[in-house]
Amino acid sequence: MKRDLMDIVCCPLDKHDLDLDVESEEDGEVVSGTLTCADCGETYPIEDGIPNLLPPDMREETPA
Amino acid sequence: MEARVRTPGRMSMSGDDLAGRRGVETDVYDPAEDSRLLADVACEAVSESDLVADVGTGSGYVAATVTAETSARVLGTDLNPHACRRARDAGVEAVRANLVAPFRADAFDVVLFNPPYLPADAAAARDDWMEVALTGGETGREVVEAFLDDVGRVLSPDGYVLLLVSTLTGVDEVVDYAGERGFSTVALADESFPFETLSVLKLVR
Repeated sequence: MKRDLMDIVCCPLDKHDLDLDVESEEDGEVVSGTLTCADCGETYPIEDGIPNLLPPDMREETPA
Repeated sequence: MEARVRTPGRMSMSGDDLAGRRGVETDVYDPAEDSRLLADVACEAVSESDLVADVGTGSGYVAATVTAETSARVLGTDLNPHACRRARDAGVEAVRANLVAPFRADAFDVVLFNPPYLPADAAAARDDWMEVALTGGETGREVVEAFLDDVGRVLSPDGYVLLLVSTLTGVDEVVDYAGERGFSTVALADESFPFETLSVLKLVR
């Protein structure tokens, strides 16, 4: 994900700001890392360049 | 009732370079006539300076097409992790999200949505990602309604929605529901098929 996506996304649960913690970066894009809600503390992983901003109870790889 | 456009696995983009990227055929909805209609309308409507969200981007076809034609920044979001990966492979800036839940207020100038719209048919229930991509609950409108409940929050003051609907979903019902959420609606394009007519609606406040 591009760093300036931070200006567009928010915590899906309470809509507060997220803090970005970068683990690896490539060609100016965050490849892996963590987004953490500044208010509720929920964490959201960034894997293979894709931020997973689903609430924890919706994160399974299979539907339903 | 058969839905011609939304027959899973239907090969409608033969010759297109996206066809070459197929390979997870039961996991991600492939672009079909509905995708093409929405992309065509969006390419006409979107300006280069717009920030656009393509909700339920699937293969990323609509987002990639609009980016290529307009140079606008288009985010592709999907609930399905396979779709997110495939959209990213197609060059789309992908975010795994439930509709527009993780986006800030007033974030987008344009929100595109080609929703799961078929009424669920218990006999055809698949319980896989393709069913999630195709069906909108018993009425066909459950996902569209959840989207309409929240999308006003993420639209800029002059922002608008381009929503693909089918007569299988009930266009009047969608227009009425959007009206209850403060949107007025105009149809920008229609295309008829043997079992349904597809429309792209523009929703403004």
